[in-house]
Amino acid sequence: MSLIRIEDVFVAYGSPRRAVLGGINLEIAEGCFVCLLGQTGCGKSTLLRLVLGSERPMRGRILIDGEEHRQPDSTRGYVPQKYSLFPDKTVLDNITFGPEVSEFGLFGRLTPAFFRRRRQLRDEAYRYLQRIGLRESDAGKFPHQLSGGMQQRVAIAQALIKRPRILLMDEAFSALDSGTRREMQALVRELWRSTGTTILFVTHNIDEALRLGTRVVVLAREAPDLGSRVALDLDVPDPCGEDAIAGLVHRLERVSYPASAGDMVEVG
Amino acid sequence: MSAGFLLIHARPNRAWSLVLSWFLFAAGIGAYLWVANARHRENPEDRVTPTVAQMVTGMYNAVMQPAEEDEVVEGEHGFWYKLSHSMLWKDTRASSRRFFYALVLLIPAVILGLHMGLFPYVGEFFLRFVLFFDKIVALSLLPILFIAFGIDELSKIMLIVIGVTPTIILDSFNLTRGVPAEQVVKAFTLGAGDFDVAYRVVLRQIAPRVLNSIRLNLKAVMLFLFAGEMIASTDGLAYRIALLRRHMGMDLIIPYVLWVALLLFLVDYAMRTVNRKLHPWFEEA
Repeated sequence: MSLIRIEDVFVAYGSPRRAVLGGINLEIAEGCFVCLLGQTGCGKSTLLRLVLGSERPMRGRILIDGEEHRQPDSTRGYVPQKYSLFPDKTVLDNITFGPEVSEFGLFGRLTPAFFRRRRQLRDEAYRYLQRIGLRESDAGKFPHQLSGGMQQRVAIAQALIKRPRILLMDEAFSALDSGTRREMQALVRELWRSTGTTILFVTHNIDEALRLGTRVVVLAREAPDLGSRVALDLDVPDPCGEDAIAGLVHRLERVSYPASAGDMVEVG
Repeated sequence: MSAGFLLIHARPNRAWSLVLSWFLFAAGIGAYLWVANARHRENPEDRVTPTVAQMVTGMYNAVMQPAEEDEVVEGEHGFWYKLSHSMLWKDTRASSRRFFYALVLLIPAVILGLHMGLFPYVGEFFLRFVLFFDKIVALSLLPILFIAFGIDELSKIMLIVIGVTPTIILDSFNLTRGVPAEQVVKAFTLGAGDFDVAYRVVLRQIAPRVLNSIRLNLKAVMLFLFAGEMIASTDGLAYRIALLRRHMGMDLIIPYVLWVALLLFLVDYAMRTVNRKLHPWFEEA
């Protein structure tokens, strides 16, 4: 059975009510790298937040490994576009935060076992620092002293050190310049291969979606007052050759911006 | 110095900055001295505008001699003994004690604001009432406080607490709500529980802003403290000022006012420094 099942979810906001998602059905198997694509306002971030548990659908439900999770927890890691790191903690403390807070409560931090484990965690955090391409001297810095790209790297390490089964990334590279983006894409792809985490990646950049994902899901509205539905759901060859990308980009653009295309292409 | 010096693009050099920023002090002191000397030439017994010499004498007495209601200190004693039994020390100690008790009682207010911002049920329960309470003019409650708690220490401290607590609660409530939702969600995905999020994520983040908020409310704390002291107290800096007013002791009142200003400046400076040292990551100073 698939890891993530999204069953007929429907979400509407605001007054008067505007439908954002109008009946989404998806199944995502473990180990996939799924990219959610679509233009601004098509509800891809909303769908991600539904899987994350920080929002609830008006209709339908989301099953993670057969269970409904009504709030964010450690089964799903999260890397947002901004505000991903805790500003009051150093880079190293940010990375070790997850294991520390889940293994030790308020009084557990006073026991000697804590200090031993803390040293282990810090060593592991240093290894993660190396993997994401930062240096030891960066470990004691605060987030505001890092560039955007470095902050996102640390955010990814912070999420992955908990070894979640699912990683949700919400336009994580959209605020970065294209050179940094390429590096980050390579990093995420490499981390995905080595950890086997299921990744759900939201982006509005078609090129990025094709380079990263094994599967691309496009959300689009049929009409301005209806909610978005799955417009296209295709598997991307892995690795995706440069010539294949051009063809797919064209196809995806037609689907993502249906006002100019007119028709919708079904699952292919 | 061109005609452009009053415009927005002007860039005063260091000499001008120095002269301009100290000018009003010099002008004020100069004007005062001029008026004081003029009045004293006419009437040497004038008590409204004491000369600098009179103020210095008065202050020396306040620092070296006990208050009029205390017993006179007999015999020869050292500097520190006289200081620790002096009027100024007694008043300062009394006022400071009340001030710090009130500050300590502001800590629960911060915690309440934090919980109100994070836990929706707590927020619903308290918010409306706190907003209402914020509108009550605390000074108008003073007679009620005296009736309920007597004219002892408790009512004075309660006055400060009632006056300043709603502001602090609402401030920390707003600061808590200002923490980006991504941070809270991220903490949950990393395995944090509700209290971890409250204390290890949100409180740590808003702490420097909370300290700043308390620092900015120090003036209000002092205001309520002095109101309580002036009306019903037997010691304290404001009590002494009210007492001196009755026998026109301007030679002591002015130094006392300056002393209070200095104390407040020192507390503010101390809080700013502590904030900077505790939170080096906070860039907005």
